[in-house]
Order: sequence, then structure tokens, then C-alpha cells
Amino acid sequence: MIILTGDVYHAIAQHAEEIYPNECVGLLLGRITGMRTEVEDVFPAPNRWTAEVGLTPTDADHSQRDRFYLDPRDYLRADRVANARGLDVVGCYHSHPDHLAVPSPRDLMGAQAIGSGSRFVFLIQSVHRGRAAELTAWLLVDDGARFVAEEMR
Amino acid sequence: MPVTVTIPTALRQYAGGHASITLPAGSAGQILATLREQYPQLGKQLYNDQGALRSFVNVYVGDEDIRHLQGVETPVADGETVSIIPAIAGGVLDGAR
Ligand SMILES: [Zn+2]
Repeated sequence: MIILTGDVYHAIAQHAEEIYPNECVGLLLGRITGMRTEVEDVFPAPNRWTAEVGLTPTDADHSQRDRFYLDPRDYLRADRVANARGLDVVGCYHSHPDHLAVPSPRDLMGAQAIGSGSRFVFLIQSVHRGRAAELTAWLLVDDGARFVAEEMR
Repeated sequence: MPVTVTIPTALRQYAGGHASITLPAGSAGQILATLREQYPQLGKQLYNDQGALRSFVNVYVGDEDIRHLQGVETPVADGETVSIIPAIAGGVLDGAR
């Protein structure tokens, strides 16, 4: 179960609309207690995707409209902010401009540094014609082989 | 004062649930090797079958990636922090819109 508290839902929607038509990315700060992941705040990060961080050679044909990269430096900054507040980085989010809020095969490939089988959550915000639409939650399972949808409220 | 190694949230399950682990000072490579010995399951998450750090797994000493320092030879003194930090990437596929 994923629980979004306070302004989190709105903050993600707003970030995704602001960055549209590009993909936005950020981290989620909160607490994991047993099977519950409670998200208390967001840490919006810059999308630092360039062709150099591409996962495949054909990435040169792409842009931040259909690619995102969360730099480890931004993760480290978020981690320090979280720790100072007694929280942890408990997940990440990114947007799908004019695309359904389901993880792509590339999202799966790019999640491989995150251990599977944990309560670390991946949120996907779809944006249709500049307006935030559906927000969905996913967990990485089976040794990183797939995402499963997770209940969220 | 030993070295502190911080473990990212999603990998703590492979490190006895610890958020950080204290180890003796040494090179980054020595510290990572000790970490792998103590937590083999964590080692499998950090390294590929060829024994190299997985892409998107990053090791920082203080504020700097060891790839921009002296790699595994980077000295880590008492009181310093080694951070294991994931990068995350993705994107919608061609024609999937
Ligand atoms: Zn995606």
C-alpha cells in the first residue's frame, strides 16, 4: 500500500505539467513501515537526460520528450534532505507526456540499480495535452524482471 | 573513527536492513570488497557477473563519484562517508504513444 500524504499528489501533477512536453522526474521522501510506503514530500529533480547517458546507441534519436535520467548527484542531494528531516528516499516519479501511465520496457531497464522486492515505489504521472491525468504506482519484483501495480491512496 | 557506508533504501533488505554500515578506512575498493564479503546478497545487486559495478550503480566518496577520483584506488579516510547511489532512467518507447 502506497499512501500519499499532504500535497504530494498535487506537487507531482504540477511538476509534470510544468515540464510538459518533456518528461519530468523526481524523488519521493517518506517512510517505509512494513508493507506501507508513506510519501510525505517530493524532491523535484532536473531531467538530465542527454544522448551520452543513453542505454542504447539509438538513443541519439531521442530527446527529453521521451527520455529521462535522474542523476545520482540529485539522488544524493535528496537523500541528504530526507535524512535531515528523519525521512528516507522511498521512491521516484516521472511523467509520461501524452502516453498511458504504465511503465515502459525502458523504464524497467533504467530501474536496475534499484533493488527489486522492496517497498521502493515508482510513480508514473500521465499528462494529456499539457494537463495532468492519471497517477499510478508500481513496485519492482522478480529480481527486476517486471513491475507490478500497487494500491495507492 | 571508521568509515560510514550508506545503503540506498531499496538495497537495505540485502544489507541486514541497515541504512549505513561502519567499516575500517582503506581504499574504496577495499571497503567495497569488505562490504561484499559481509553481505554477499548486496554484492550481487551491486556487481554484474563480470565483477564490474553495474551501470547505474554509483559509488561516491563525500560529494564525488569515485569514477572521477581514483576509482577503486580512491583513499577513504576515517570519518569520511562512502555513498552507494543509484541512477534511474527510462522513457516511453518509439511508436508506443
Ligand atoms: Zn516511463
